[in-house]
Amino acid sequence: MSRLSFEAGSSVAYHTGDWRILRPVYKDKWPPCSQTCPASEDIQAWLALASDDQWQAAWRKLTERNPFPAVMGRICYHPCELSCNRKHLDSAVNIHGVERYLGDLALEQGWRHQPLNKKQQTQQVAVVGAGPAGLSCAFQLVRRGYPVTVFDARSAAGGTLHSGIPAYRLPKNILRREIDAILALGIQLHLDTRIGEQRSAQSLQEEFAAIFLAIGEQQPRIYTGNDQSGHSIMSGVDFLRRINQGEPVKMPRHVAVIGGGNTAIDAARCARRLGAEVTVVCPQDPHGTQHGHPGAEMPASFEEVIQAEAEGVRLSYRLGVSRLVRSGEHLSGLQVARVDQLHDRHGQFAPKLFEGTEEFLSAGLAIFAIGQEVDWHGLERLRDSEDSNILIGGDAAGKPRFAATAVGSGYQAAMSIIACLTGIPPVYEQHEKAEVSINDLNLSYYPQSVRQEGGVVADRLHDFDEVITGLDKTAVTHEAGRCLSCGVCFQCDNCWHFCPDAAVIKQDAGYEVDNDYCKGCGICAQECPCGHIDMVT
Amino acid sequence: MDVRDTYRHNVLTSGHRACSGCGEAMAARMVTDIIGPDAVYINATGCLQVFTTHNQQSAWQAPWIHSVFANAAAVASGVEAAMRANGKDTPVVVQAGDGGTFDIGLQCLSGMIERGHDVLFVCYDNEAYMNTGVQRSSSTPHAVRTTTSPPGRLSEGKHHLKKDVISIIAAHQMPYAATATVAYFPDLKAKVEKAMSLKGPRFLQVLSPCPLGWNHDAAQTIQVSRLAVETGLFPLVELEHGAVTGVMRLARQRPVEDYIKLQGRFKHLFGSKGGAVEIRHLQALADARIRRYGLLEADTEWTTDTANQVQRRGRGGYARVSKGESQ
Repeated sequence: MSRLSFEAGSSVAYHTGDWRILRPVYKDKWPPCSQTCPASEDIQAWLALASDDQWQAAWRKLTERNPFPAVMGRICYHPCELSCNRKHLDSAVNIHGVERYLGDLALEQGWRHQPLNKKQQTQQVAVVGAGPAGLSCAFQLVRRGYPVTVFDARSAAGGTLHSGIPAYRLPKNILRREIDAILALGIQLHLDTRIGEQRSAQSLQEEFAAIFLAIGEQQPRIYTGNDQSGHSIMSGVDFLRRINQGEPVKMPRHVAVIGGGNTAIDAARCARRLGAEVTVVCPQDPHGTQHGHPGAEMPASFEEVIQAEAEGVRLSYRLGVSRLVRSGEHLSGLQVARVDQLHDRHGQFAPKLFEGTEEFLSAGLAIFAIGQEVDWHGLERLRDSEDSNILIGGDAAGKPRFAATAVGSGYQAAMSIIACLTGIPPVYEQHEKAEVSINDLNLSYYPQSVRQEGGVVADRLHDFDEVITGLDKTAVTHEAGRCLSCGVCFQCDNCWHFCPDAAVIKQDAGYEVDNDYCKGCGICAQECPCGHIDMVT
Repeated sequence: MDVRDTYRHNVLTSGHRACSGCGEAMAARMVTDIIGPDAVYINATGCLQVFTTHNQQSAWQAPWIHSVFANAAAVASGVEAAMRANGKDTPVVVQAGDGGTFDIGLQCLSGMIERGHDVLFVCYDNEAYMNTGVQRSSSTPHAVRTTTSPPGRLSEGKHHLKKDVISIIAAHQMPYAATATVAYFPDLKAKVEKAMSLKGPRFLQVLSPCPLGWNHDAAQTIQVSRLAVETGLFPLVELEHGAVTGVMRLARQRPVEDYIKLQGRFKHLFGSKGGAVEIRHLQALADARIRRYGLLEADTEWTTDTANQVQRRGRGGYARVSKGESQ
């Protein structure tokens, strides 16, 4: 209709849309928490379901990518919270607390994982290693109808989750029940079966259409200074494995732990629980002292370090071992010295010590937690194979060595295996969406609120009981409700209320812009709390 | 009937000729959809009347009468009396701008209230005569640039103060008078619903930013409206029978600069000595209003923070369009 028409009637005949320069577009974005999650969980989605009291739906959304919520809610270093936009407003959402609650609730209620489709495939897949990567891969495959057999050299499933993480961080029954829930989908598990010994690599290749190697890093790196053999020296991995298997370990009065990673802190806290005075000899600097040089700060999780200090573990930074001091067979201590450079000129970790700074550290046991390597023994044939149906994942595939990374790696391996078996390129369901920064949000709509933390058990040096208690239901609902929903519409109605032109039409789910009338003022985009609306030409 | 949206009646629907980002269109859409289409709307002359009924095309989907500038309240009195004579209780609502309320319509409004007519009078306050080209009204705040209060060598914009109309109205000892603004929908909704639940003359002053006359970016309408409240320049208050019965507490007071720097109508105040004095004057006016209504310490249901807070699936809407109407 012409602008100058004088036909009487409703003004809807007159389209004001042609006044417009920019138009609003509703677009889901990819929140920073999901972007940084090593397991690519859709965190915003399950927080939204949890805040809505849809607990089981939240757990199902979460386990789409991570079948270990109760485990990861306890032990993950939660990079999601480090990147959470809420930290610019008050403090990050306690994502791991909600995750842990959902995981525990699922175990308590006995919720079972469901297969994604009923169709049963015939091609068999072998997974070597029943750790987080292997089980995650098996979980994804079996949900999609592939028969999976998992082999593990140990007598308990869980890999490093079982052998490396002490019970005060991850109670064994939580791990076992969560693994049982995964196995209940119909995964065959062969324990005490080392490939290369009980079974040959060749037979695996002949029997299975695809193989996933998730054997982890179980071989401790050894101290190469003087006197590496002899008594009173142990690797962190072996020490933790013995503790976790319940073997008795005799403790001297003074114990030194060498290393700055999570294994070192775990070993120190375990030794402390066994009654020793523990000193951690850490080659790196403490957290928060070397901004911009993350390699110069100790790699252990900051929260674990705080816990260790609270338990009376002494941490000495920027120190390295120059030699072991023995009186006869007996270890009387370590000679330590200040660290000059951490890395050599190739960027390899090789601490150099300052001459003349030596001091004596009394210790009856030295636990070296200076890294681990992959034990390829018996698997060289598979490792060196050029076949596209053999994949390597988890810690065995390289750094970073985090449980959540392993879970994510298991998911990707499963997708690649399906792609390889079907010949259809892999679908990672990865969003190709823009990230949302704090500047894209309208913070007027989010009042400040206090983050709820789990409690800490005060008297904790006498046993290996769990130290951090979970959140209760009220706190979980509160935390899930604190999610800013970055970039994802939660139907707050702002755009709809504030449109002066009745151009935003409310639908049963979401909104639609009627471009016949939108004048492009941009109020909807400006007042969208979560940055879901873009103005485009 | 335009029934594109089944979640609200759209009493004021699309195709109207308001400027992009119009705060008055937004306010009128909220108020009329809360009241619903079963009411008689009387519209004084002003922006709202002009842009909704252009070239014989009406954007109204409810009974609507255009009165002249001065007599909207008098027309409403007659409509209400006629309704009463016919035994009907259809609500009667007047909509007027600040010109039709503060200046030209004030004596008719006063008469209507004095006679006790059962009418809701809504003033969309955009603080000047906008549709005729931004001339000052008695609602225009101090130190504002309009075409009839230009700043210059001898002047820093409008010399006089904004008329405190809510006190004048409340002095009639009437059942309900309140101020609201577009930024706080739950607050606006509660006030309109409260007004509609009462009998007798009721008055609502809704601050409606005008991107053209206030010279701010069209996308900033809500932000400007929110800052008017958060600085204390526009207190959100409720008065019943002359007494203050409710205010919106400010979670924190923002300096008036935050509010005025978004708007071109205050631009002349920055970078001059005289302007700095006027900014201090505006700050003092805001402080005085905060003290007068106790906006920082009042014990209230909402604060500016909680009234803003968003919720999953919204914080209330409007009556849905019934199936019979949508066919």
